Formats: sequence, structure tokens, C-alpha cells
Amino acid sequence: MKRILTIAVLGLGATMALCFPAHAAPKGDGRPDGGVLNYSEYGRPATLDPITSNETISLRITELVFNGLVGIDEKQEIVPELAERWEASKDGRVFTFFLRKDVKWHPREGDAPQPFTADDVVFTYNIMMHPRTITPLKVRYEFIEKVEKTGDYTVVITLKRPILNALAKFSFKIIPGHGPANPQYLTREDRFAHSPIGTGPYMLQTVTGDGEVVLVSNPDYFKGRAHIDKFVARPFADQNIMAQALMFNAIDMIVLVNPRNLPEVQGDKRFVLQPYNALSYSFFGYNVRNPLLADRRVRQAITTAVNRQEMLDSFFNGQGTVISGPFAPGSWAYNLDVKPLPFGPERARALLTEAGFKPGADGIMEKDGKKLVFSLKVPIEKESEAVKRVVLAFQNYLKGAGIAITVDFKEWQAWKEDVFLEHNFDIMFASWVFDDSADISSLFHSAEIGDWRNNFGGYSNPEVDGLIVESKLTLDHEKRRTINRKLHAILAEEQPYTFLWTLTNYSAYHRKLRRVQIHPYKFFSFADEWFIPASEQK
Amino acid sequence: MKFAAVKPVSRVLARELALTALLLLGVSMVVFAILYLAPGDPLNVLLEGQSPRSELALGMREALGVPRTWYGQYAAWFGKMLHGNFGNSIRTGLPVLPELARVGVYTLTLTLGSLALTLLIAVPIAVHAAAHGGTAGNTAATIVAYVLSAVPVFWFGYIVVYVFIHQFGMFPLISGTAAKQEHAWLYFLVPIFVLGIASGTLSEMIRHLREELSRVLAEDYIRTARAKGAAVWRHAFKEGFLIPVTEIMSAKIPFLLGGAVIVEQVFNWPGMGRMAWQAAQDRDFPVIMGIALVAAAFVRFGNLLQRVVFTAVNPRASRE
Repeated sequence: MKRILTIAVLGLGATMALCFPAHAAPKGDGRPDGGVLNYSEYGRPATLDPITSNETISLRITELVFNGLVGIDEKQEIVPELAERWEASKDGRVFTFFLRKDVKWHPREGDAPQPFTADDVVFTYNIMMHPRTITPLKVRYEFIEKVEKTGDYTVVITLKRPILNALAKFSFKIIPGHGPANPQYLTREDRFAHSPIGTGPYMLQTVTGDGEVVLVSNPDYFKGRAHIDKFVARPFADQNIMAQALMFNAIDMIVLVNPRNLPEVQGDKRFVLQPYNALSYSFFGYNVRNPLLADRRVRQAITTAVNRQEMLDSFFNGQGTVISGPFAPGSWAYNLDVKPLPFGPERARALLTEAGFKPGADGIMEKDGKKLVFSLKVPIEKESEAVKRVVLAFQNYLKGAGIAITVDFKEWQAWKEDVFLEHNFDIMFASWVFDDSADISSLFHSAEIGDWRNNFGGYSNPEVDGLIVESKLTLDHEKRRTINRKLHAILAEEQPYTFLWTLTNYSAYHRKLRRVQIHPYKFFSFADEWFIPASEQK
Repeated sequence: MKFAAVKPVSRVLARELALTALLLLGVSMVVFAILYLAPGDPLNVLLEGQSPRSELALGMREALGVPRTWYGQYAAWFGKMLHGNFGNSIRTGLPVLPELARVGVYTLTLTLGSLALTLLIAVPIAVHAAAHGGTAGNTAATIVAYVLSAVPVFWFGYIVVYVFIHQFGMFPLISGTAAKQEHAWLYFLVPIFVLGIASGTLSEMIRHLREELSRVLAEDYIRTARAKGAAVWRHAFKEGFLIPVTEIMSAKIPFLLGGAVIVEQVFNWPGMGRMAWQAAQDRDFPVIMGIALVAAAFVRFGNLLQRVVFTAVNPRASRE
């Protein structure tokens, strides 16, 4: 469950602002500078630039080193970053960004810092879209027609068609034109991918032989110097040892505490456990190509037969929320009026009887000689103890309902091929992780059935298709919300997945860190405001 | 007399080196075949975090200039390798060879250190047992060594971690931080200690050394030497000590490398084992090929060392 499929989801409810004023001033907030923050990561980052990287460890680091044209503040509102203000055309297709003139790139050793200009924005867009650059960003920015420089500090971005919340999407990180060795396209072999320079609050100092990433405060940061002198990302190969390291003050922060270690950290007064809402959920997905699973009542019966709250309580210390539909509960699209199907073994039996199934000699329900026996494909992940328990409990609950499950643990890549390409499964287990852009249309629209497409279960429902298209076309946020609530209700009834839960993520940190705000996805977005009181800087 | 020993050694060495080249070629082919036949595409790691579309994957293959056929891929790798270029890691984009050299030093310290430790414990016990027969002291030591050898290395590793943390209240077990602690040197010794004690080599080393030495001590020429009043140890050293020690060392290198993978994981030791583990998860084939070749070369080097010592000690061996 650690490694997951990420898809794009609708932007967070951000309002469009015209001519937003910039707040460019040095910090001068009276809070002390200084101190070091050591935080742990479960593994090492592959690359450190915002374009080729595609895992959360790198994402957290690029959040410290780079800026976007716009940013998103604690209240999920769009605020100026590299652009101090902007204008949108009436038809919502053309955006003009007026850039800050006081921004400098981190200096390379021996060089003077170079100024940030419109050329860098154009450069970033071009390198991102170059066919030889491999980046998850490309798909997300296909809606842009062109990016042009109209002055040293003015950029015009034209869209292919107007889209809702376009502004929020211009938070992609800008990289310097003089950064990559190859100015055409960016690969992981480019030195820029390993020693990047940005405009952000922290500058990369070194990556040590052990894989420690050392970042130091940028004295020229345009929002004012970040308070904490140094951030050090330490790689760990074992989550228990990571928790021990926190206990022994060898590190000051764990970005994501393993649920198993929560009680230990919780009991210690020195630390703060801060929950943050992950935009993700786990589910069992059904292959409706199997005629038995094509019957909605069978899918409902499975969901009803499974005690999701009990699993959440016993395997994850209850750290999460059982969900009813296809959106993460942290998202504005989630419909709180739809309640999760309650646990009810009798109801499950009744649904199966209604669908024409009768118990066979072996206790397995059957109809016309066809038994309810399904294969469940589960990807093997590192640290998958909790996943194993969920799967075995699922199997056990269903046994009680007269449904037999054969569990098949598959190596990750093989699992992906089985599910997304061969469609050789009845039931699968996985999690979706959403970022703060785009939509769920790829999961349930019938046009998304096919090789390597996200509608792997072959779910097809004209009403759902219609709503998805309607939701995509509308430019009215409230209307889209209404449509999504309806979609949620239908999919909760249809159960193309058994929607399980969203887990609450916890970060643990030492009390000496103050004013800690955490972005649910990018984590360090507000880290320039964090500080350590002078008395505790050591 | 010294000169006479050189010629057979060089002859053996030349033959063995040629064999080594063939062996490494074979290893590279087998590893490549396994990687090719195993499920999953190494390039998938680059696509992680986005929906897995085949068009994208195909475009990427072209973009990266990866040959389409398996033999094309192998030939491309092989051609570069002959020029000393092991390619770049798919996951990190960093060149494989410098990365291997960087982490290889850590693994070498770990394996050679633990080998030295094992010898340090095994040799006195074995020599004492061979010279004096089974006394109460060396029998007890042998039993303890056998028990330790039977302990699984990962389990022993965690026990040691536990003892250090909870009994001694110290945390020397992560890199970087350790340097600032009072007993930082322990960080380097603890994993070596664990691998040296529990890799399973200890008992075999004692048994092998004791048996060989006892056998040699019972040989006619030793008895003659003893009868003449000559130094028994000087006569018995080559056959009874040097040969068995190098034999068992070279035989145990592969096991030590295997144990290192586990010990590195437990102790956060930034060596080749952890790199191999990560690379295997990612199907990062240039890295896996690189590690396989280095490991094979390392094992081969151990064998070679043993052959050289054997031939140098016993020139007749080269004519067999």
C-alpha cells in the first residue's frame, strides 16, 4: 500500500482571483532563525528535480527547493508565488502572468546568482513537454496550447479550451534555463536531476554517500529567509528503526509514522503527532467481465458481508475513516450524505438469495451450477503486513457469506500486468492516491476500458458516463460539485469497488519545532514559516 | 627454490584469468536472461505515479533509445561494458560503476572485516583442538561456536540492535548521527561483529581447520620431523594451515555476500546489498547486472587466491 497508483483528480475548491496583490516582504516576524531539522525518509529519492521525479520522497524535497507561478496556502486558496499578479481573458483561455522582478536562482558554486525571468517559465514548459522528457507532468498539462514570453517579466499561457480551476494548475515548479546540461530535454542522467538549483526557501547543499540530502536556508529567498538553517533528509531501510531514531533524538521528524509505531510515539510527551488528511483510499475492485460479478447484488453482498470498521480498528488502530464512494473524504467532491453500506451478514445472504443463489453441498453459494468462487489478486509491497491481514480477513468474512476467495499474491509489476493488461482477475486490492488536480473520470468511464486503462474492471454504465462528461464540461464549480455528489451516490449503490477506507496519516515531530503546518500532499509547502526557539537550537 | 614456484603460479594464473572472463560472460548472460524472463518492465519505474498507458511506455522506449529485441538490449549492454561503461541506473540515472565503487567499499569492509573476525575466533579453537585433542575448554568453545553459527543472521542482528537500544540506551545504528556520538566507532564494528559471528561460517571453519590440521599432524613426514626434533609447526604450516584457511575462505565468500544483504538492511549500512535489494525491486537491470558481475568477480577472486596459494605451496599442482 505504500507504492500506489496516482491519478489526477479535480482541483481543490480554489477560487479564481483576478489581479491578486503579491506580498513581497522579508520575514521580519520576530521569530528566531537557526537550528537544524533532521527528518527521516523510508528510502532514498531517485532524483531531486521537479520534472523527472515521481515519488513522494523527491516531491517533498522539490517543494523546499522550487516555486511555482502560483502557490496554494493553508486555506487551500491560490496565492501569488513567482507571479505577483495575473489576468485571465473573459473566455478563460488566456492567462497573463506578471512575474516578480526580485527573484534570484540559487547560485551554483563560484557563480553569481542569476535572475529569474519569463524565459525560465517558457523553458520549463518546453522541456516538460519534450517527447524525450519522461515525466508524470506531461499528461497533466496537455490542456495548455502554448506558453509565450511577451516581456522579460510577462508570460502568456493559452489553453486549448477553458477548464475549471485552471489557475490552480499553474503551481507546477519552474526550473532555470541555465540549470540542465541539456537544454532540449531532461533525463535522470542530467546532473541537474541530482544537484538542482531553484528559487525556493532551501538550497541543496550536498547529498552524502549515505544518501542524506542536506538543504540550507536560502538567504535571498523572495518571501524572506526561512527560519530553520538546515533541513536534512535521512534515508532509513526499516520503519521500526526509524521510530527508534526519533525516540533517541537522532531525528526530529518522521513525515509518515507507521501505524504500528503510533502508540509508542503517542505516549511520549516530547513529540507532537500531527494528523494530516491523505487524498487516498483503499478498495477491492471487481472485474465485471465475470458474469457472476456483473450482477450488482453480488457486489453489494460482498461489501455488506465485510466488516470494514472492524478491519480498520484492528489492523490500523482505527486511524482512518470508512468511506462510501469514489472520492477521498478530504476532497470537496465527497458526498457526506451517502453512508457506507452497513455490515450485515444476513443482508448479504438475502441479497445473494435474491440474485438466485443457493448454498451448495460445500456451503458455497451457487446458481445454475456456477459457484461463487473468485480469485483475488493482491500486489506484494514492502512492509505489507497490514495488507495481508486485510486480505485474509476479507477471505474469512466472505467464507461466512458462502463466497470462496482464492488469494493470489503477485509481485508488483506482474500484478499490474494481470490487472491492467490481461484483466486476468476477479477481484483486486489496491489504493488510489489523488493529487490536487484533475478528476476520477478515468476510473469509471466506459471509454477508459482497454489495455493499461484505469477502468480495469470493465465497468460500464451510460448514466455514469453521462455524468462524468457533464462534470468535465462544466465551468461552474457548484454545478460540478452537484454532479459529483450524484456520481458518488450512484457508484456507492453500484459498488464497482468495495470502497474501504482513507487512512489518517500522522507526522511525528519534536516539540521544539513550532508553527508546523503540513500540506496533505506536498508536505513542506509552508516549511519556511517553521521555526525552533533559540533556547532549543542546541 | 623461490624462482621455481613463480612459473607454475603464472601459468595457473593465466589459465584461471581466461576462465574468469568466460565465467563472467556466462554470469552476465544468465542474469540477463532471468531479468528478461521475469515479469515486469524495468522502465515502469519511470512511469510510476501515472496511469500505465502502453503508448506512453512505447514512446519512452524510443525516447531512451532502448533496442526492441532482447538480443539487441544485451548486445547494447555488452558493447558498452567492454568499454568499461556499465550504463546508468534506470531509477536514479547515475552511472553504475562509480556508484558500485562507492557502496562496494562499505560491503568490502563489512565482508572482509567479518571474515577476519571469524578467523580470529576459529583459528585458536581449531589449532588448540588439533594439537591437544578435545579438552574441556576447546570443546565448550566449539559448542558455543556451533550454536552461534546456527542462529539466523537477521534474527541475531535484531537482537543486537535491541540490546544496544534498550540495555545500553545508545543508538549507534544509523549513519551520520553515529559520528557525533561518543561511541561512534561501534557503528562500524557492530554489523561486522554480527556477520562474523552469525553468518554460519564459524562452525565450518573450525571443523575444517581442525580436521585438516589433525590429518597433517598425523602424516609420516611430520612424524619424521618430530622424531628428528625439527619444528613441527614449520613443517605443518603450509599443508595443515595455509591451504585449509584459504580453501575455506574462498568457499565462504558467496555466503558472506548473501549475509551482507541482510545485515546491511538491518543496520542501515549503505552497501552493495541494499543497493541490490532496491535494484531488484525496481528491475533496474544495469545496476543488477553490475552488482552480479562484481559479486561474481569477487567470488572468483577468492577462488583464484586459493589456487595461487595452493600452487605456490605445491608446485606439482600446476602439472595435474
